[in-house]
Amino acid sequence: MTNQTDPADAPIDQLSFDDALAALQRTVAELEAGGQPLERSLALYERGVALHERCAKLLAEAELKVQQLVTRAGGALETIDVTPDSARDTE
Amino acid sequence: MDSGFRILSVGEAARAIATTVRADEQLRDLWVEGEVGRVTISSAGHAYFALKDDRAQLQCVWFRDDRVRSPFQPQTGLRVVAHGRVDVYEAQGALQLYVDSIQPSGVGDFAIRFEQLKAKLAAEGLFGSERKRPLPQRPAVVAVVSSPSGAAWKDVCQVFARRWPLTRVVLVACQVQGDGAPESIVRALRRIERHVGQLTEAGRAADAPALTIVARGGGSAEDLWAFNDERVVRAIVAHTLPVVSGVGHEVDVTLTDFAADVRAATPTAAAELVVPDRAEFASALARGAERMRVAGGRAVVAALRELEAERRVLDRLNPAARLAASRQLAGDLLDRATRALRVRLANVSAAEDRLAAALPSIALRLLGERRAALAEAAAALGVLGPQATLERGYGIVRRAADDAIVRDPAEVSAGSRLRIRVARGEFPATADDPRSAPG
Repeated sequence: MTNQTDPADAPIDQLSFDDALAALQRTVAELEAGGQPLERSLALYERGVALHERCAKLLAEAELKVQQLVTRAGGALETIDVTPDSARDTE
Repeated sequence: MDSGFRILSVGEAARAIATTVRADEQLRDLWVEGEVGRVTISSAGHAYFALKDDRAQLQCVWFRDDRVRSPFQPQTGLRVVAHGRVDVYEAQGALQLYVDSIQPSGVGDFAIRFEQLKAKLAAEGLFGSERKRPLPQRPAVVAVVSSPSGAAWKDVCQVFARRWPLTRVVLVACQVQGDGAPESIVRALRRIERHVGQLTEAGRAADAPALTIVARGGGSAEDLWAFNDERVVRAIVAHTLPVVSGVGHEVDVTLTDFAADVRAATPTAAAELVVPDRAEFASALARGAERMRVAGGRAVVAALRELEAERRVLDRLNPAARLAASRQLAGDLLDRATRALRVRLANVSAAEDRLAAALPSIALRLLGERRAALAEAAAALGVLGPQATLERGYGIVRRAADDAIVRDPAEVSAGSRLRIRVARGEFPATADDPRSAPG
């Protein structure tokens, strides 16, 4: 997720799930509202299909990321990658 | 005005006493410890007994419905702690404790402390439904306050891995039982708050947990006691993120459950409540794509309506043009439009196979329908024939020699024999020199 640029401008295969989903919802809403020239409708449709595929792919391929919040010497907080079994009994 | 002296009826006096008793907050909700006197059970199933100590006694009524639900029954001579409200039974002028639950003295310690603390915190409004915050949809990051060695933590991870692995899970380790547990849980919640604060300040709010799950597996009342600790309850209420509690088994209820924004029956249920199931979500997405396909089809229909408009322009063409050219013109327009549409559709289908599968079939079917409608219109024109036009004063000129319709002065020469058809008949004519015709 990025706030600097409009995610709708990014290439579809680089969109995060949430951005792709939001873009898909906007696309469907615009298509359903109708009123655009045929070329625009077809372009929207094509984009919608690609966005849907992006979402479905991210959903199917996602792997859970597990982390632990640990306190470093000096009190700084940090998240470190762990597995469910390797998480440490430490604050 | 009342003189201040009045003789009351017995009923009025009893009512005055009852009103006074009912106005007392403490008497509405109290615990009384004492020894049970003689117990009588009425035919309706209500229990009547006195609670006594060395100074006084208090009449008690325990109605059937509450009594039969209780695993514990009062017996003469037992020391018990009864909970209920004090009220006046006016018909007998009796002041009684209306019991709703009874614990044996000492044994029900946890339950009593639980109820007392629950009543106190509820009175402060900590459990009010207006305090409950909505959970974020599909949180990208979830903090889990739990023990790293407990089953609860592993259960939560499994649910996320199966249902919604797009979420990142961050364990915030704490003790979940023992004397140090309440402080440890409170510290874990505070660490999350600091962590969220730091990320937000760094402009990385999206990387911060959006929700906290407090998880612990099942255990005895003593094991779960940390989750009834007042410090823990207050820390949960004050927590900056929405909290979902998943403590113990289905039957276990802790004050943490009341304090949380959402209570789940178990750690697994807590995780399931927080994220959707990806298989269900994928089907919903597919349904969305289907809606899109329908909308795309509708766009083609709209384009076909434009064709229809062109046909209406055609209908307005002048009668002379209709006579000979309507079929051809209609055909031309339709062909032109159809070609244009097909080219557009073909371009897209080259770009997107799926689109090609969906749209052209719709478009071609609809085009077919329109084409049939146009053919019908053209046929209607044909049936109408030239007669209507002739009725309006037009005529059809043919060369007598070959019956050809004359459209161009060049098709006749001086002296050509002609036949002219008008609405009600035909007559012969001879052409003058066409080149001498006026303008």
